[in-house]
Amino acid sequence: MTMDDEATLIAGLRRRDQQAFAAFFERYADRVYRLAHGIVGNEADAEEVLQTTFISAFEAIDRFEQHARLGTWLYRIAYNHALMLLRKRRPVEPLPEDDGELPMPAALTDWTALPEERLLSREARDILRHAIAALPDGLREAFVCRDVEGLSTAECAQVIGISEGAVKVRLHRARLAMRERVSAYFGEWAAV
Amino acid sequence: MTCDELIAHLSSYIDHEIDTELAAEVREHIAGCTNCRVVLDTTQRMIVLVHDEGQRAIPAGQRSALFERLQRTFLDQPPAPEADRSV
Repeated sequence: MTMDDEATLIAGLRRRDQQAFAAFFERYADRVYRLAHGIVGNEADAEEVLQTTFISAFEAIDRFEQHARLGTWLYRIAYNHALMLLRKRRPVEPLPEDDGELPMPAALTDWTALPEERLLSREARDILRHAIAALPDGLREAFVCRDVEGLSTAECAQVIGISEGAVKVRLHRARLAMRERVSAYFGEWAAV
Repeated sequence: MTCDELIAHLSSYIDHEIDTELAAEVREHIAGCTNCRVVLDTTQRMIVLVHDEGQRAIPAGQRSALFERLQRTFLDQPPAPEADRSV
């Protein structure tokens, strides 16, 4: 039996078929882990989110309705578990204002010609990670979903539970904030 | 198009989510505005870097333990009542 198509995989999971579990883990474990890591910001919590997400999914797979895609459904579960864990770790942040004035970019050094090895260095990756972690929760969620994980706007809207318009607004703000922060570092490298 | 307007449309332009007329105005603006060109280029580069950096996987040392643990939990569950029925 091949688990390539979604219906076969779901039927296998409902029968508690071991091969279906292996296929499900292979297909989604890293993706769920990445999404969780982007939101909670560390490996231990990301693993916990992965576990609780999979356990919730096993319990709920019997009721899964196939008008949703399995991946989007799973991401939504993971997203909720990640948020719950985040709320346990620190106080709730106010939701981002979607209609406030946009800050104008201030870091205007062009660093795009920096050598690849510099931009892919450990130091550069740390800068990117810290910049993501420093985003306000609402902006970070949209940013991780769209730009880190690469889901579509429509999928992110389903996963986060907001409108596509709200995803776009938050993504836009997140990108500007990210650009500003990383440009402060990379711009200095380029200026040397 | 002003710089303010360009910044407002930046994300939609990057995602090819604006109409061709507006996209042409963006291109015309950045052809003559170094600052906005830098903002556009650095934003696009940042997105690529972040996507590449974000392609993390479960740490190798944890992977098999997680697999085993979750597989046990999975197999311990009774099958769905109508699991034999195809979906």
